[in-house]
Amino acid sequence: MAECIVITSGKGGVGKTTTSANLATGLALSGKKVVAIDADIGLRNLDVILGLENRIVYDLVQVIEGECRLKQALIRDKRVEGLSLLPAAQTRDKSSVRPEDMKKLVNDLKELGTDYIIIDCPAGIEQGFKNSIAGADRAIIVTTPEVSAIRDADRIIGLVEAHELPEPKLILNRYRPGLVARGDMMNREDILEILAIPLMGIIPDHEEIVISANRGSPVVFDELSVVGAAYRRIVRRVLGEEVEIPSFDVQDDGVWASFKRWMGLTAAREVV
Amino acid sequence: MMTSLISRIQSVLGEPRRGSSKDEAKQRLKLLLIHDQVDLSPAQLQAMKAELLDVIARYVEIDREAMEIRLSKEGGQVALVSTMPVRRVTSRAAAAAS
Repeated sequence: MAECIVITSGKGGVGKTTTSANLATGLALSGKKVVAIDADIGLRNLDVILGLENRIVYDLVQVIEGECRLKQALIRDKRVEGLSLLPAAQTRDKSSVRPEDMKKLVNDLKELGTDYIIIDCPAGIEQGFKNSIAGADRAIIVTTPEVSAIRDADRIIGLVEAHELPEPKLILNRYRPGLVARGDMMNREDILEILAIPLMGIIPDHEEIVISANRGSPVVFDELSVVGAAYRRIVRRVLGEEVEIPSFDVQDDGVWASFKRWMGLTAAREVV
Repeated sequence: MMTSLISRIQSVLGEPRRGSSKDEAKQRLKLLLIHDQVDLSPAQLQAMKAELLDVIARYVEIDREAMEIRLSKEGGQVALVSTMPVRRVTSRAAAAAS
């Protein structure tokens, strides 16, 4: 059955767009028909993270206003079968879209035979957020192990539940095992104790993310990448599989391990 | 894996890597910013290209398929840069000139 998942966080800059891109790509790599929607009207970026910015012809607002057909606006990703992007408008503002429009859009996509619709929600709790969750069946909250991000995540969890969506799940992003081991970063137990929602996955902070953003190629494509592997596990969980969430081994922060990683000889080892 | 190993060794030796991801990022970003400034959608750019071709075709015969039009930034100024391979000057244009 088709499902629409909104990726949200409250706070900006915690990795919503990167998460959306990797989740959408990963689901498509698993053989699903996926549409990623950039709901950040006026500040679109999902196109850039997916490396599809040069292929935009129509956008979400033009679809809603009837200037083009939905299918015309969908950009097919040539690297993976089944993935399309519906880009946001760059020169409009959030008031060009209403929650009813998003509901209709999501329903239309489901009727086109889409398996998963991933909505990249803008930061904040205003119109863009309301639009993004309107058509969603469930929400994934992205946070980082920082006070400000977790505070905003807590606020968003309340809002998601107020909109009568099922209990959201959490992705803990930019996790740094070395800092956690030293006691200078909140660990997963600390964060889950505060937010009290199920954990969907942990994404380690890694230079691979910078490089993949530079190139416009989601890291989930990279078979050797630790971060790619973490996203692939999240994809399997989204698909309903039970997959253990490993702790990232602090030993791998050591000099020899980083040297081997640097040489490209090993992917970072993980322990459960 | 070998290529990435070699490129990593090169980066240590101080050799600038060709096709490094930061160069790619900078190129993509420049193009994005130009398009954001000009606010011309690809659809509009295509329409403009077609109209330009119609006007120019009245004077010279150009290779429609090979024509290129793009936005570029030169010295802080966004410019429309176009390349139109000329096949020959049409007889009508030649007549008008004489």
